[in-house]
Amino acid sequence: MTVQVAPQPAVGTSQDVRARAEGESGWLVVAEQECRDLWTSGRGLMLLFLFSVLLSAVTYLTSTNQALNFLEQRESVNLVLQFAVAVGVLATLVVSADGISGERERGTLETLLVTPVPRRSIIAGKLIAALSLWFATFLVSIPYVWVLAREVGILGQALVLGLCVGTLVAIGLGCIGLLISAACNSNKTSIAASIFLLLILFAPTQLPSGLPQGWFFEVLLRANPVASGLAYISSLLVEGHSWTQDLSFLITPLLTVIIAGGALILAGPRLVRLTRGENAG
Amino acid sequence: MRELFLIGLLVGMLSLLPTPALAAAPLNVKVVPEPAQVSTVIGGRFVLTTEVTNTGPTPSGDILAHLNIASIEGSVYVDPEDWSASRSQQLSLKPGESRKLSWQIQAVNPGHFAAYVVVMPYGSEVAGNEGLVISPLVNVDVASRSTLTAGGALPVVVIVPLLLGLAVAGMFFRARRRGSVQ
Repeated sequence: MTVQVAPQPAVGTSQDVRARAEGESGWLVVAEQECRDLWTSGRGLMLLFLFSVLLSAVTYLTSTNQALNFLEQRESVNLVLQFAVAVGVLATLVVSADGISGERERGTLETLLVTPVPRRSIIAGKLIAALSLWFATFLVSIPYVWVLAREVGILGQALVLGLCVGTLVAIGLGCIGLLISAACNSNKTSIAASIFLLLILFAPTQLPSGLPQGWFFEVLLRANPVASGLAYISSLLVEGHSWTQDLSFLITPLLTVIIAGGALILAGPRLVRLTRGENAG
Repeated sequence: MRELFLIGLLVGMLSLLPTPALAAAPLNVKVVPEPAQVSTVIGGRFVLTTEVTNTGPTPSGDILAHLNIASIEGSVYVDPEDWSASRSQQLSLKPGESRKLSWQIQAVNPGHFAAYVVVMPYGSEVAGNEGLVISPLVNVDVASRSTLTAGGALPVVVIVPLLLGLAVAGMFFRARRRGSVQ
């Protein structure tokens, strides 16, 4: 959060946060301020624009590529929805990875810490702001899913599925991003660690489908919250399974939320602090 | 005595030479596919059935039926694994017994193809010179199609990034203007 000090007292000052935090729930004030920072600075919109360009390229390829055209239309919907969910939740991870280390690096964490907002509320506010990017990417992906799914009658199912699974995975990755951010002194380290985590999460999904996929691949798939969430979407949209048939795929995303979220709640007050040599001084 | 020794030596040496393989008994099996002709579109799934009958007086022993697909026109590359995930079935038939085998196939290339099933002996005792039994060809005509059209997706593909790009440009323009005013 960019907490601006004089000479711009109108928006986002520590006094402003302090005054409002005394009247409202602290997390709400922080969330509002964070969202304002994300969206009015143009950072969120720029990410959305890039996301839409990527999604347009994938949708256009799916519509025109002869090699992809042999796919069932359900598979095309699945492809675009999976892409939207994966990129959306990963953008959430990157934004949340900037949450606390970014404040430290910009020298604004000290100002934020002197406001009467509990540290858990600061974390909750930052998580909500990061999740706002996921919800925005999901909104942008609706027309793309609509254009592919309208003729096969799975539009509602695809959207509800994408929203539910994507939100679950986004909360888990957002919590992980905040944990990484809180543990890192430098924003560069935090973002690099998050990007490395993304690569680890995505590497197993990029294995050629022709390779033998034994129990180890199954373990990798199940242990990865992104891959297992996407596998659940695929099993419903393409294979036509019922909502309850492959619920086991959602165990890892749910565990990620519980473990990372629990760690944030328990260790959050100790993690959100100034570090020696940065701004403590 | 010396002649007898030489004859014995010759016989001994001959016995060490590899014996020429005896021609294996032919497979008395008939394979009839159904249907004889398939017309579908790319991505279409169909089932080919083959009836394998033991026409001989003895049990067939272990035999293997194997599905294959070949392009019979143009230079379309065919990877049979893409067409069918399970292309081999093992069976054994008593004299006169018939069995129907089903093959799940998905057409993944457009063009004219032939599907056929080869039956061969199966097991470690196969010498390698046994004859094969091949079914008649099944003509598979696969038409190309476009399930999705660029025209249908184009408005969304263009308009959404355009609107967001305009919003980004407007925001930067406004921020710059505000900065220059101050």
